[in-house]
Amino acid sequence: MSSTSQPVLRVRVTAQDAETLRALLRDARPDVGGRPRRADDGSCSIEAYATAEQATALEREGVSVTTIENATATGRARQAEVGKGDRFAPADAVPHGLAVKA
Amino acid sequence: MTYLNITEVDSAVTSLATAYPATSELIDLPEPSVEGRAGHALRIGATPAGTHDCAVLIGGVHAREWGSCEILVHFAADLLEAYEAGTGLVYGGTSFTGDQVRKILDELELVVFPLVNPDGRLYSQTVDPMWRKNRDPAQSGGDPDRIGVDINRNYDFLFDFRTAFDPAAAPRVSDDPSDLVYQGPRPFSEPETRNVRWLLDAYPRTRWFIDVHSYSEDMLTVWGDDENQSLDSAQNFLNHVFDHRRGVPGDAYAEYLPKSDADDSKVLAEQFCTGVQGVRGRAYTPMSGFQLYPTCGTSDDYAYSRHRADEHKGKILGFTVEWGDQRGGFHPPWPQMERDVLDVDAGLVQFCVSTLV
Ligand SMILES: [Zn+2]
Repeated sequence: MSSTSQPVLRVRVTAQDAETLRALLRDARPDVGGRPRRADDGSCSIEAYATAEQATALEREGVSVTTIENATATGRARQAEVGKGDRFAPADAVPHGLAVKA
Repeated sequence: MTYLNITEVDSAVTSLATAYPATSELIDLPEPSVEGRAGHALRIGATPAGTHDCAVLIGGVHAREWGSCEILVHFAADLLEAYEAGTGLVYGGTSFTGDQVRKILDELELVVFPLVNPDGRLYSQTVDPMWRKNRDPAQSGGDPDRIGVDINRNYDFLFDFRTAFDPAAAPRVSDDPSDLVYQGPRPFSEPETRNVRWLLDAYPRTRWFIDVHSYSEDMLTVWGDDENQSLDSAQNFLNHVFDHRRGVPGDAYAEYLPKSDADDSKVLAEQFCTGVQGVRGRAYTPMSGFQLYPTCGTSDDYAYSRHRADEHKGKILGFTVEWGDQRGGFHPPWPQMERDVLDVDAGLVQFCVSTLV
């Protein structure tokens, strides 16, 4: 399931039980992020990354799909938060970790 | 601050090696990436290479999991700076004394390789943010949708998944180049994967291996192909009697893990999570890699499996960090990423401290 043209949505796929989710992952093979989470009521959910069309195709008996965000748009916005050039090029520029040295 | 681009990750490693010549050393990885980029790792330790047991840490394997590189660069920088200054390290509510920092560099060897997949990271940071694999076009037949191999399916562990697993197991791996988890044409087909193997071979005293990924706030231990058990040593990945039977939860087959290794892995994973939680309360979960569905060809299972497949190789306990929560997804805003860096770096330092007791 790869697509370079259509936006990829982050969706939450919730199945009524673990076996239903396992079957869905086996049959539809969606791109997933993180691991499955089981709720107290026995339902089991996972985040998936899919085009709108692919997300619709994940819906079935015992499964609900809700959109969280447009992951492509978020990722594109985040690309603006990537450094330009080389901040460590100056001879005295050394990386510092985020811990307080004390 | 912002995320590091690929030039900066490499430049950070080089700068640290230059700034701390007594306690670090630049490692040239033997193979350039598919697109020809050279990779560098950093050996950290106050004693000559090979003096002490070694932990190898890698990151930047999956292109879209950007923050893994920053976690490892900052981890290395923290340790080197604190050692030289004779200070401890404070990560929010988790802190380490100067003696603990000194002990890590005096009695342990660390090899940190923050960017295994530079081509993929560049593509993710400049073109498609959701890109995961490397950028190898060899199996694509010229189709851009078939470019790339999932490096964390390309290691030699149950690579022949159609033979290894029960047909109902649905391992998260594929032999179709258009798939997100394409394993490649054969184990170690990719130069990026071979560089990691080279590190484990070049540092034969490696006893711990940590692969930094995102997301879900977990610290995973072996195995990923099935549930673990410590009672029946015959049920193992080398035994062909169990071909076509692996990967289904709750059935007769479970992957053998000697109890002492299971216990040691669990303690270290728990210690990592304790270090993380102290910072600001994030509760990471220590658990084995097998959750609902199996995997194969992953780095942590490969690292641990080496000593079983070849008795001349040392035993390496393998781990995979899955940093970050669902809110941030693969690309948290940088201010949130800084909090994740603090969390995970505290966990990694705690992990190192715990290997020494
Ligand atoms: Zn990953």
